Amino acid sequence: MNTVNVSRRRFLRASALAGGGLVVGFSLSGCARAPLPIDPDAGGWVPNAFLQLTGDGHVRFYCPRDEMGQGVSTGLATIIAEELDLDPARFDIVFAGVHEDYDNPAMGMQVTGGSTSIKAHYAPLRQVGANTRALLLEAAALDLGVPAAGLRTDDGHVVHDGARHPYARFVATAARLTAPQAAPLKDPADFRWIGADFPRLDATAKATGTAEFGIDVEVPGMHYAAVRRPPVAGARLKSVDTGAVRDMPGVTDVVEIGSGVAVVAERYWQARKAADALQPVWHDAPLARVDSATVRRDYEQALAGGAVSDGVDVGRVSGPSRGDVDAGMATAETVVEATYWAPHLAHAPLEPMNAVLRIGDGEAELWTGTQSVSGARGLVARASGIDAERIRVHNTYLGGAFGRRGTLTHVTEVTEIALATGKPIKLLWSREDDMRHGLYRPASLMTIRAGAAGGRITAWDARRVGGNITPDTIENALPGLFPAIGDRGVRWIAGAADYAMANWFADGSSIEGLFEDYDFEHLNVAHVTVDHGLPLTFWRSVGHSYSAFAKESMIDEIAVALDADPVELRLANTRNSPRLHNVIRIAGERMAAMQPAPGRHLGFAAHHSFATDVAEIAEVSVTDGRIRVHRVTCVVDCGVAVNPDIVRAQMEGGVIFGLTAALYGNLQLDGGAIRESNFHDYPLLRMDESPEVEVIIVDSGTEPTGVGEPGLPPIAPAVANAVFRATGQRLRTLPLTLEA
Amino acid sequence: MVRFVLNGTPVETDDAPDTPLLWVVRDTFGLKGSKYGCGAGLCGACTMHVDGAATRTCVLPVSAVAGRSVTTIEGIGTPDALHPLQAAWVEHSVPQCGYCQSGQIMTAAALLERNPNPTATEVESAMAGNLCRCGCYPRIKAAILAVGALAHDATRSEETPA
Ligand code: FES
Ligand code: FES
Repeated sequence: MNTVNVSRRRFLRASALAGGGLVVGFSLSGCARAPLPIDPDAGGWVPNAFLQLTGDGHVRFYCPRDEMGQGVSTGLATIIAEELDLDPARFDIVFAGVHEDYDNPAMGMQVTGGSTSIKAHYAPLRQVGANTRALLLEAAALDLGVPAAGLRTDDGHVVHDGARHPYARFVATAARLTAPQAAPLKDPADFRWIGADFPRLDATAKATGTAEFGIDVEVPGMHYAAVRRPPVAGARLKSVDTGAVRDMPGVTDVVEIGSGVAVVAERYWQARKAADALQPVWHDAPLARVDSATVRRDYEQALAGGAVSDGVDVGRVSGPSRGDVDAGMATAETVVEATYWAPHLAHAPLEPMNAVLRIGDGEAELWTGTQSVSGARGLVARASGIDAERIRVHNTYLGGAFGRRGTLTHVTEVTEIALATGKPIKLLWSREDDMRHGLYRPASLMTIRAGAAGGRITAWDARRVGGNITPDTIENALPGLFPAIGDRGVRWIAGAADYAMANWFADGSSIEGLFEDYDFEHLNVAHVTVDHGLPLTFWRSVGHSYSAFAKESMIDEIAVALDADPVELRLANTRNSPRLHNVIRIAGERMAAMQPAPGRHLGFAAHHSFATDVAEIAEVSVTDGRIRVHRVTCVVDCGVAVNPDIVRAQMEGGVIFGLTAALYGNLQLDGGAIRESNFHDYPLLRMDESPEVEVIIVDSGTEPTGVGEPGLPPIAPAVANAVFRATGQRLRTLPLTLEA
Repeated sequence: MVRFVLNGTPVETDDAPDTPLLWVVRDTFGLKGSKYGCGAGLCGACTMHVDGAATRTCVLPVSAVAGRSVTTIEGIGTPDALHPLQAAWVEHSVPQCGYCQSGQIMTAAALLERNPNPTATEVESAMAGNLCRCGCYPRIKAAILAVGALAHDATRSEETPA
């Protein structure tokens, strides 16, 4: 028998420490600039971090953001191409490696998320395109021996006297010139590609199976790894008998890593079968005492000021406030109060977590689909002790992310496995691993008390109970983004954030969306932190994913109590939010003109998130207790729609993703373990349940704002409000379930 | 040793006979277009055609295809020679993350083989086992119906020459 004893655990971490793994050469600032991670073999001219023009006419676009389906590679290519004056379809798109030039301007880090990409890159990438075009014109004037004033550009060509010269002809001269910093930008009236519909640039690759995802990467000598992890998050390995498994076909190594036990084999199926055959014994973890019912009961107790489970802390803080809510309630003609529940949810991207790592002599190469290549690089550096500057990260297409691919425990795992075995490793999580060992959308209990007088909602008292994502996010993101901070430092900072957000000020992502949209004269927001220890993180639209359900259901409840039209009530109370007011007005007019078939009912909701305003109308029927959403109309104002068809696709996707949550999503804990494991017990909406989605884009002329997330928040309340019209039942619990 | 025909070419593998076809095709033969989503026949990402029928290959032992013909997404079209469904996928900008799309197209292709001009309801029921987390369903449906309508128009124009 071959039993790994717990006292010999974590030798990997210890050896990484001994190798100085926690103090790697990661320049925070001020040091010499690292070279750009540009493919030198492609040659040509590299005027900036984003473009590489070769003499043979190819133009590479190094896309600084990660493509998880939101269409960002098409969108950013379009922005830079517009000013460069080159059809974006002619770009070769490469996902950028790690470099500060690719930081997300909205965050100062190389991270994709928060529906920030188009908004944050719009102005900078236009400028980069314009500067590059100006340089090409200057080079053409020199090469052709004519004044620059007589030249213009047209789709990748410099035009002189009717003759068209491809950009490639001037690349050599341009490479010797100095780029202007602020070449004039196009007049938006002259845009050719921004605002035009054309197929997204990755459509062909994705329709032919040739788009490369992390799971598709192969390197020479690669072995496959599968990992067994504890069923309860935070539990440690006590012992495991690896003897029988070592003799299974193809198995080459069984190694203990920080998160559990890894089996390495020549083929994936061999690794998976062997990992499944292991019978590891785990220590207890505090979360093992927690069921989903415990969570909900503790939240309700905390809300009522009662006692919660032993060992669970309750932290109370005040959020934003104005006026005098008590006075507002006292003078209100009508006061409505209700409590809403939203459960934990998994992201369930269709591609499970995976990573491929090759470690060489003092250097390493990682392939993975991630929302942060720099975070991924830092994690490899941290676990291996290899200098971050000597680690190359190749980002691939992401098979869905929704916030999940910002946390990269699989990258730490693959590094530990590759180090322990000395082999290039592909680590692939199973669907069950993905469902059960991830990080989750926090559950939320939300109470709103609202007072109305004279058709105005005058007082709003909102309270949310639940866990905060920021401390977990810090704990997971810091080690990769700032490898110079040691493990104890990370734990200290995350612990401090945890304490501060429980006791001093609310985590913004816990209360966002609960109170901002309407003109309440008197406002009170409070937060009660109750955290049982399930790992939490961003999930598409974050706090808005639950707060919009509470807020927009409550608005509908007020309308019912006042016997008011729900759209009119919203219009009368959004004077301070003109863009939201406008989408409500347009959607309201659409709704007024709709004539749903007998048995079908309409529900309305509107919400502002990620700087974008969205109103949605759901057409719903209820038959034998089953809710069916037939049609959704979505009115969105995201400023300039860089690619209107992708805006529509993101609204469609947001609605359908949100409907899965509204109708099915319910991740449950049994003794601290996730009960759901795969799509039979964590179902996703299917095509035959999916509504038609009509999208109306309102362009208010502002610069573009996000579209990846804002389509989601209004859909659950729109459906719940329609169900109320259909049945008289007010559903305040997600997923929406009718009483028998 | 299991022998079968993969995209028209006879192949043989010494993978264990219980190895799901998906892993044999992806890792032994290097065709990465077919995807792993659930490993339990629940999502359709791994769909290939076995003797023309859309089949979940994550739960199909390779031994079960001995002597049979397997077609993958790589076998129905390429970027330079798109299958009509693939062309419609591009035209309708169907994919978001793209991960489910090979499986979607393979299920749709099998549907159109047996029913060249399906109704919307027929499309929905044929496609109900192919999950898309990104929510591309409205476009998948529109693209399939568009190809069906093309087939319909083609038949009609054959029947009534202009
Ligand atoms: S991977 Fe085969 S059905 Fe999901
Ligand atoms: S396109 Fe992402 S799962 Fe379908």
